[in-house]
Amino acid sequence: MEPEKACTQDLSQIVKFAMLDDVLSLARANSLWPLTFGLACCAIEMMAAGASRFDISRFGAEVFRPSPRQADVMIVAGTINKKMAPAVKTLYDQMLEPKWVIAMGNCAISGGPFVYPGQYAVIEGVDKLFPVDVFIPGCPPRPEALIEGILKLEEKLTGKRRWPEVIPQ
Amino acid sequence: MISSLQELADQFSKLIPQDAPLPETPAAAGASCAHGGVASQASTNPVQMVDYAIKGWHLDVRARPDQVVAAAALLDENGFATDAVTGVDWIAEGEMEVVYDYFHPANSWRVFVRARVPRSKPEIPTISQVYPGANWHERETHEFFGIVFLGHPNLTPLLLPEDADYHPLRKDFKA
Amino acid sequence: MSALSLLSSGEREHETFILNVGPQHPATHGVLRLKLTMDGEYITRAEPVCGYIHRMHEKMGENRTWAQFLPNTGRIDYLAAMAYGHAYVAAVERAAGIVVPARAEYIRVITSELNRISSHLVWFGAFLLDLGGFTPLLYAFDDREKILDLLEALTGSRLTYCYYRFGGVCNDVDDDFIRGTREFVAGMRPRMKMYRELVTDNIILRKRLIGIGHISAEMCRKYGATGPVIRGSGVAYDVRKNEPYSVYRDFDFDVPVFPEGDCMARYLVRMEEMVQSLRIVEQALDKLPGGPALTAGVPRVLKPAVGDYCFAVEAARGRFLVRIVSDGKEIPYRVRLRTPSFSNLSLFEEASQGMMLPDALALLGSLDLVIPDIDR
Repeated sequence: MEPEKACTQDLSQIVKFAMLDDVLSLARANSLWPLTFGLACCAIEMMAAGASRFDISRFGAEVFRPSPRQADVMIVAGTINKKMAPAVKTLYDQMLEPKWVIAMGNCAISGGPFVYPGQYAVIEGVDKLFPVDVFIPGCPPRPEALIEGILKLEEKLTGKRRWPEVIPQ
Repeated sequence: MISSLQELADQFSKLIPQDAPLPETPAAAGASCAHGGVASQASTNPVQMVDYAIKGWHLDVRARPDQVVAAAALLDENGFATDAVTGVDWIAEGEMEVVYDYFHPANSWRVFVRARVPRSKPEIPTISQVYPGANWHERETHEFFGIVFLGHPNLTPLLLPEDADYHPLRKDFKA
Repeated sequence: MSALSLLSSGEREHETFILNVGPQHPATHGVLRLKLTMDGEYITRAEPVCGYIHRMHEKMGENRTWAQFLPNTGRIDYLAAMAYGHAYVAAVERAAGIVVPARAEYIRVITSELNRISSHLVWFGAFLLDLGGFTPLLYAFDDREKILDLLEALTGSRLTYCYYRFGGVCNDVDDDFIRGTREFVAGMRPRMKMYRELVTDNIILRKRLIGIGHISAEMCRKYGATGPVIRGSGVAYDVRKNEPYSVYRDFDFDVPVFPEGDCMARYLVRMEEMVQSLRIVEQALDKLPGGPALTAGVPRVLKPAVGDYCFAVEAARGRFLVRIVSDGKEIPYRVRLRTPSFSNLSLFEEASQGMMLPDALALLGSLDLVIPDIDR
């Protein structure tokens, strides 16, 4: 059989060409595996985001991994104090590249309500320890806010927003 | 076993005689308004019944530091449970107050035992051999106030980092 | 115990090793760390290491006015924040002599009990997750969201409530809340029956929990353990009955007590408590009096009378005690928070002696710990 007759269909309908990086980013963005890592109050909202009503698995981010070596994104959900900081840093270092960090809640952003002149225990923001990709404000943020944070991270990876943005009236 | 709070108060009065020198005299501290405790305001009797509705407990006992173990043993015999051990820093008077809370699981009685130690040498015997639950509370009080519990099996920081050498709940603490 | 003594008295050389659990571990529900000395699968010594989420609540109390400390009470035990706010607010009301209107007390009871149910539902899901069952978590969170919807409409917050004020509550309940709560109570009863049939009667759960993690009443007393832990050891100690606060005298409810002292007893206590809380909520809605929900004229900056004052409440995890010392100024001299999880965890070292590791994690789950409640 002659090669040009082997396939009658237009190949461009089946095979798409893209940069390998873009393909990988698309795969990564659609299956972000978070690290199971609850620190404080925000962790409960993180659990709620994973549970039945909010169901973060709609966005491919429901596979919470207890081991940092299997996780893509670290959701820092809660206050980090000076005793915990070395452990958080170790967890971050143990994660494989490429890795992302979401700072969930005011404590992870800036120390939140626990900052006052002369405080002795709290790290004032997780970005003092390692770089952060997405900040989600709130005390604690609602589960929808966490989902929005995941979408923002996807946008950062692929350059495209997956869902239309909800603009408050 | 006791049948009423009054009976317990009587036993405490025997344990802590009224004529014994008190940890501090109310007259000396009266000048400063920074003074807690209903007992010290009213009279010199170290064992006092308190109105629960106003204060939130029934019996207020002021003891010398060397009497707290005997007080704990007396409460233990009578079926009380340990609630908490904590401190208050009375910096104006140069003293630290160690406060022991007890509650009774069956009779809903609340007893406070408090003892004062000088700030310069804050030492008090441990009650963790009577109440093992006081172990953690004393560790916490040690790290927050620097109060040394003599005879405590493991007086290392509990909530602060392992190498913490500061006592944050002291009034003169600066981070 | 017998297995342990067999091992330790055996002929082979006695070897132990250290197993570190946490501070990042799914079974510790937060940032608790356990230093376990293991003899094979058996624990010879378990040392909890706390403080990984110490947030200086007590020091913060000395740095702000009485009212400014209110948001902190929502962040100590964030699963049952209402009860914590209740204890602090009531202690200050006691010190400052503020009278609370009856309607406010009833609203406090309703919201506290709803919050207790939502807290127990999180425990229910997370505890069974520890034991290897994922599905109950999804059911429990489904029910919990209904409570959170009600409380959010009322308080503006899903989790870290700051709803109680000195002299009442900041927002009066409306008809929507009352109707929604009645619907929830009616809908929750069949769900409790479903949980019983689906989970409690499950043979695998029973095998994991019955006879495991025995805690005696004497141990509870020596360590000051309260709440479902002491009630699962056969002692009917409940602050709502023993030191009746607020308007709990007005309600007809039982204190569930199970004498076995094992994980199953603590499990059953919490499940039964949810039913009792539903009863209290229903009665409180029926009896809800009219009138204001907040005493008028409470000054923004309080100066309570000199002295120390206490207030204890039954939080979801046990007895929560606030002890405040006032020196007559607008800033507290000392705020002492006696939290139930702290005392409940302190008996873990003794109770877990000689247990197998998976059983010890069941025991840990049955204590229902909230780590910021321990570390404060």
